[in-house]
Parts: sequence; C-alpha cells; structure tokens
Amino acid sequence: MGGVRRDLWRQRLLTMTVAIGVGFLVLLGQLWYLQVLEGARLRELSERNRIRVRLAAAPRGVLFDRNGIPLVDNRPAFTLSLIPREMENRQTVLARLAVLLNIPYADLAETLERVPPDSFMPVRVRRGLTLEEVTRVEEWKLELPGVVVEVEPQRAYSASRFAAHLLGFVREASEEQIRQGRYRRGDMVGQSGLERLLDRYLRGRDGGERIEVDALGRPVRVVRRQEPAPGAHVVTTVDWRIQEVVERAMSAHAGAALVMDPRTGDILALTSSPTFDLDQFTGPLGRDAWLRLVRDPQAPLLNRALQGQYPPGSLFKVVVAAAGLQEGSLTPMDHVFCNGEFHLGGRTFKDWKEEGHGQVDLRRALVQSCNIYFYRAGLKVGVEVLTRYAKAFGLGALTGIALPGERPGLVPSPDVTRGRRGWAWQAGDTVNLSIGQGELLVTPLQVARLMAAVATRGILWKPRLVQRVEQPDGKLVYSASSEMNGYVELAPVVWEFLRQSLWGVVNEGGTGAAARLPGLDVAGKTGTAQIVAKSDAARGQEHAWFAAYAPANDPQFVVVVLVEHGGRGGQVGAPIARRIFQGIFLEKVAMVGASG
Amino acid sequence: MLKVDRRLLQNVDWLLLASTLVVVGVGLVTLWSLSHGRGGSVVVWRQLSWVGLGLLALVGVASVDYRSLARAAPGFYLVGLGLLLTVLVAGRTVSGARRWLPLGPVSLQPAELFKLLFILTLVWVLTSRWAQPPSRGILWLVLGLLAAPSFLILRQPDLGSAVVLFPVLLAILAGAGVRLRELAGLSLAGLAGLPLGWLVLKDYQRERILVYLDPVRDPLGTAYNVIQAKIAVGSGQLLGKGIAGATQSRLAFLPERHTDFIFAVFAETWGFVGCLLLILCYGCLLLRGFEIAATARDAPGRLTALGATSLLATQTLMNMGMATGLLPAVGIPLPLMSYGGSSMVVTLSTVGLLLSVRMRQFG
Repeated sequence: MGGVRRDLWRQRLLTMTVAIGVGFLVLLGQLWYLQVLEGARLRELSERNRIRVRLAAAPRGVLFDRNGIPLVDNRPAFTLSLIPREMENRQTVLARLAVLLNIPYADLAETLERVPPDSFMPVRVRRGLTLEEVTRVEEWKLELPGVVVEVEPQRAYSASRFAAHLLGFVREASEEQIRQGRYRRGDMVGQSGLERLLDRYLRGRDGGERIEVDALGRPVRVVRRQEPAPGAHVVTTVDWRIQEVVERAMSAHAGAALVMDPRTGDILALTSSPTFDLDQFTGPLGRDAWLRLVRDPQAPLLNRALQGQYPPGSLFKVVVAAAGLQEGSLTPMDHVFCNGEFHLGGRTFKDWKEEGHGQVDLRRALVQSCNIYFYRAGLKVGVEVLTRYAKAFGLGALTGIALPGERPGLVPSPDVTRGRRGWAWQAGDTVNLSIGQGELLVTPLQVARLMAAVATRGILWKPRLVQRVEQPDGKLVYSASSEMNGYVELAPVVWEFLRQSLWGVVNEGGTGAAARLPGLDVAGKTGTAQIVAKSDAARGQEHAWFAAYAPANDPQFVVVVLVEHGGRGGQVGAPIARRIFQGIFLEKVAMVGASG
Repeated sequence: MLKVDRRLLQNVDWLLLASTLVVVGVGLVTLWSLSHGRGGSVVVWRQLSWVGLGLLALVGVASVDYRSLARAAPGFYLVGLGLLLTVLVAGRTVSGARRWLPLGPVSLQPAELFKLLFILTLVWVLTSRWAQPPSRGILWLVLGLLAAPSFLILRQPDLGSAVVLFPVLLAILAGAGVRLRELAGLSLAGLAGLPLGWLVLKDYQRERILVYLDPVRDPLGTAYNVIQAKIAVGSGQLLGKGIAGATQSRLAFLPERHTDFIFAVFAETWGFVGCLLLILCYGCLLLRGFEIAATARDAPGRLTALGATSLLATQTLMNMGMATGLLPAVGIPLPLMSYGGSSMVVTLSTVGLLLSVRMRQFG
C-alpha cells in the first residue's frame, strides 16, 4: 500500500476511535446524570414501585331454557391467589396460609412449582372461600406478601343436580388442556355436556388491570386496564319445567328419560340417573373425591340417554312390523296361535306370558306384545330386511346430537357376526332379533328419534339442543334451526297401522295401559330387555323401556323412559311416562301464570 | 507446520482476550444475580454453554486465515441471505417476531450471524482487484448488498439488527478510502431510505421511535419500559444496590432484563462506579480492536479488523444508550453480556476474527 493511503488510513481510524470515545463519554454523562444527579429521586421511585396484575375474570355466559329461564348462572365468589413474584420467604408464607385455611401445604407448594417464580400473574389456588376464611386472610395480610383474595364470578346452580348431564360441569383446565395451549392455568373450562360443547362461546375473554401498588400492596393508580368480555348467552331447547317433571319422575330409579318435540327435533328434557352434583366442581375438588366419582360402579358421570347402550326388547317389534308390512311379508290379517312356546330346531323360545296370548293378529301382537307372533314374523321377514329397516330407522348409527360422547348402538349383521363369534348367523339369532334381543343395542336417544319418526310419519330429526347463541348486548352469534337428517319411507297405510296399534298399546288394555291418562291420547310401546344375568341378584332384573308420544293424533311430545334393572316395561316404564305426560300437560295450566 | 503455529501464538493479543473474558464473566455474574434466591438459574447454565460454544468458535475462527474467510465471502453472503429468507418462512414466532430458526434443541438467529458475514462480504468486495479504486458504482453495489438483507431483517421484524449494519458499512467504507463526500452522499441515500423502512416497521416499533421523540406521548404504555430502565439505572446511584437490593431488576419491573436491558440491571446493581469500570473494560477491548486494525499490514486485515471492531462498538454503544434512555429502544443485545446463544457465539467469533488478523501480522 502507498504511504499516502497509510496516512489516510490512520487518520480515519483515529477519527473513528475518537468518535467511539466521544460516544462513551456521552454515555458516561448520561449515567452521571441518572445515577448521581437524579439518583436519589429515582431510587425513591424504585422503592415505591410495585406493579400488580389483577385479573378480571369474564363472567361465563348463561344457559337459558327455551322460555328464558336460566338453567345455570354465575355468582360472585372469593378466589385465593398467589403472586409468585411477590412471595418473599415463600415457605413461611405458604406454611402460614396452610394453617390459616386448612389447606395442605403440599398442594399450595405444588401449584406454585408449576409457574415461573418471577411471574406477575396471580395463580389461583383456591376458589369459593367462605367469608370467614377471607376475613382470616385479610387479618394476616401483612404477614402474607403475595397472597391476594379476589372476587370472581363462579358458576351457581339453583339445584345442584338439576340437568347435570345436559349442562355438564365446569372445572379448571387440566394439564393436558394447558399443554395444548388453548387455555391458561386457572381457566375454568366446560368439561362435559353443553358447557363443554359451547365452551368457546360461553367463556368470554378475561380482562385485567395493571396496578401500581405501594409497599403495603395498596393500589396507587391503574396503569392499564382491559375490560373482560363476558361470555355469550345460550338459549337451549330445554324446557325447565318439563326437565323438572322428568327428573322428579326418575329420581328413584337408575336409567334415562328424554322428552323430544317431534315437530322440530328439539330436546325438551334429558336426564340420566344416577346423577351427580355440579357444584362440587367449582370449588376445590380433591383428587380422592374425583376418583371416587370416576370409579363409582354406578357410573354417575355416564350420560345414559346417549351413552347407555341397551337391547331394545319389544320396542323393536315396531320396526319388525314396519318392515314386514312395507315389504309385504306380513299383513294385518295374518293370524297366529300363541300358546306361549315356539320351537325351532330343537330349541324352545318362550313368550313372556306363560300361557300365551291365544289367537293374535299383527295388531293384537303389538298391543299385547306377543313374542310368539314376532318370532314367526321375524323369520318371515328375514334378517337382511330386518337389519335394513333397523338402520333406516336410525339404529346402529349416531343421531347427530351435538353433545359429545354419543354412542351408536349396534345393529348386528350376519356377515360381521361370523367373524366376531366364530360361527355363522343362525335362524335362532333372527328369532331373538325380532323381539329386540341378542346383539342389538340402542340408546334412549335413538329410541326417541325412532318414536318421533312414527309420530311424524317418517321424519328422522337431528336432535337439537341449542337454539341460538347471542352476545350479552343481544347480537346474534349463531342460531341453529331444526334439521332433518333422515327419512323413513313407508306407505301411508303402514304408518296408519303402526300408529293405531301404538294407540292400542295404551288405550286398549295393552301392555302400556299404565300410561293411560284420561283426557289425553297417549300412544306408545313397552319393552323389556333381558340381560345376561351377571349374578343371582341381578337375575330377572330386566331393563324396562317405555316409548310414547302424545297427543296421538297430533303429536307434540315424545317421551322415552328407560329404567335399568327395573323389571317389566309396562309395569315400571309406563307409569313413569304417565307421570311425565301428566306433568307436561296438566301442570302446564297452573304454571302459565308463574312463568309467563 | 509447528513453526507457523508458534509464530501465530506469539502474536495472540492477550489483552483483547482478557478483556473479552472479563466482560463475559461479568455478564454471567449479572445473569446469576437475577435468578439468585428464586430459582430460574437455568438461564446461567445455558449462557455458560453458549460461552463454551462461542469460545470454540473463537478458536476455530482464529485458527483460520482471515484472508481465506474473506475469499469465501460470496458464499457466506449467499448462505446468510438464504438463512434470512428461511427464517421468514420457517422461523419460530415469538411475540409476533420471526427471528429464530429452530435447529433441534437450539435456535439460531440468522440476523446475528449475518452481521459477521456482512463484514466479510464487504471486505471481499472492497479488496477485490476489480473494485480498485472504490468508484460510485462500487458504492451502489455495496448499498445494494446491504439493502436486500436489511429488508428481510426488517420484515422479521428486527429493527435493531437492521440498523446496526449501517454504521458498520460506513466505517468500512471510510476505512477503504472512500471520499468523504461520497460517504456523505451515501448517508443521505440511507436517510432517504428511511421512509421506506418506516413503512416496513410494525406499529409497536414505530411507537417506540415516536415515544423516544416525545416521551410525554404515552407515559403509561410503550414508554413504560424506558421509564423503568431509567429508574433501574438511576437508582443504582454511585455504588449500586448490590445483588439483593436490585429490586427493579429482580422484581421484574424491568422488561427484557436478561437481554436488551441487562446493562440497566448491571447499573442498578453496581452503580456509577461499576458502570465506569465496565465501560473501561469494553473500551479496552475496542481499543485493542482499533490497534489491530491500525497495525494490520494488508487491506483485508485492516478492513476486517475495522469492521469487526465497529460492529462491536456500534452494538455496545447503541445498547447502553438504549438502556439509559439516550436512544430509542430497538432491541440490540449487549455483546458478551446479553443472554442469547446466537449473539454470544457470533460476538466471540468476531473477537476470534480480530485475533486471527493480529496473529498473522508477521513477516
């Protein structure tokens, strides 16, 4: 390189060095200004300076019945939270808290472990504190840095067990849900039923405040605030009064009951028994209590209306009759003599009435639920046709109800059976199928849908639970109208026959006579599902079914009752249905003034 | 073979290395002080592993002839550009910024790496035979070489990394003998490009600049961070609050305290005296860099050393200026102290580059 260049180089380098040096001097100047000249004032500011984040939980949307009566609501409750950042002497504070409120130290410590120790954000450790507990915490406030009590909206239930399966319970987000990133720790999430289905709308959006507080934790001013957005409200199709009637009617039994409107597919009431308390989830639910619930052999968390799969028993005779009449393999004039026994290939199949029903035609066979008639009828119709019609009526498939966890039941199929059982479909299987026994399984919801199809002469509805979702200010978020998702094609005369027969079941001294109500035409079918007895005690305890609609000529309500191990459908199921119809029709008059 | 090694070892700039390690050590202690007593010491261990990796990189770079690196610059440039494109597509998004490429357990920040690659590219261009003497055309080329990656970096968005490149460019050009008038013209062109840059900026970045120009504008929002930093720095006063007393930092009033504002943490803990000593350490490091540039015998050596030193100097000054409220907050790490793998490894590599130049000044 030339000499000139070297001089230029050095000169420029020197300039740059000096420039950097000046930069640092300026920096030092600023440091002097801040630290020496303004130091005392800034130090004082730093001492006063504590920021606290206070969460404003969004009130969860309210679930209303079809008439605007709230099914669940919210009320203010006290929540205990810890702010990790502010917890000096963590162990002492937690120990003190554990003693004051009788909470295990380990629980508190564990909750704190899961969040970064520097976090601003309050961690909820206990909901639903009593006023007394709150007072105790407030008294010890100075010795409990980082402990705050907030008022937050909490789910409130007027009756803790009301519509528990329909509504579903709300609980803090699980570890799994937090890991998926959809929820933050401490968020309340709907975990079953409608609360879960509509959680996205119901939850709203939490707000919060950033508050500057002094050394004693007293607010100095609000730095930033975001209002919580309350959850949207949901108008369901449920009728509060009818739900109450149904729950009262089923209170002493295990099983399920539903009421559906056949004109729209709306679910007016749905209950599953045994049930559980909804409000035990809003407070702290100990691990033991939860395990007890989950492991209870009675399975209270199971929603039997759509998850319970049972043999339909004699209910299926309706399908057999429909299939036979439509295909022409059965006619109303065919007679059979029922003596209580049916022989097929060395096996004897019995009727539930020991002495038999005597001379029966199809109508009488339905009215009196004669097994012998249907054994023969089933063989005449044939298993292929039977299964086809079973599926046509919606059995063996999901109904499409929006609630999670629905089971599809089972329509046995000859080809599949060979693979499963090891031997082929036999005539005896068809015989069993014709009276709704064997491998055939249905849910009460499917039965309701089937009954609604009879009531409407063919319409298979998608069961509707939610009418609309709207913001608190009234803005519509979404609305769902009735949807037909199937149709059963039968000749009008077939429908007429079936409907007349079902009317007869109740009103002509048939098996459903116990459902008879003066002044109201109820039509329906009984069913008694025999189960494989697992113990001597359970022997003979069949499931009792009763499915009906009323008024018979212009159906407005479909009622399905299933009583587990209840005995005979006519004896146990029908009276319950009667009570339900009574409640629906006759008590309505009294209630009109009250609910408006 | 051995002979060359010994000659290399004779010229190792121990003072540079020492001041580097001192600053790194101070950084580690500062990070440790933040997590002391309340868990979260994983930060310190991670930073330590980055230091280890960085020292390996330092040795690696130092053992390579800087001239070879300069010759390979075009390839490096393309790789850097490629990485910048990739991160926009496949990068990990954190708080709305796509700056990191996940590579298994670690993440790479291409913008950091690009700073170093850019220096090498400039050195290569300016020392190539066809670029002598640096004409206006070369200047436009150089500006163009800067423009494309700057745009990509701004898109991430990463305002700080984009801004840092410009002073480094000016320094290297000045060192290459470009006439002052041309440099002034270039600066004007760069300034003219600012409105374009403004368009690319996101709202919060614009807000930061606006707040800097007028702090009263939003005392409770964006300016919050700046105010908190000043309080932290100022409350350190003369002798600092010590580790336990640094409440601004420890109680998390100070945002980004492991990264962008780590100097404020240091200032709160050790006060004016501590800051003075730290600045002397950095100063020593930078002076050594300039010394290496001054005594380099060939053009690539001078420019490389100059580029490396100006990169370190720019980042240090800008970060400290930001932490004390002199400059708008634009997200530049403090070299050797801020928590972050890419920054640490790239900075130590830069020091390695300086060492490489120094070590080969013989014969």
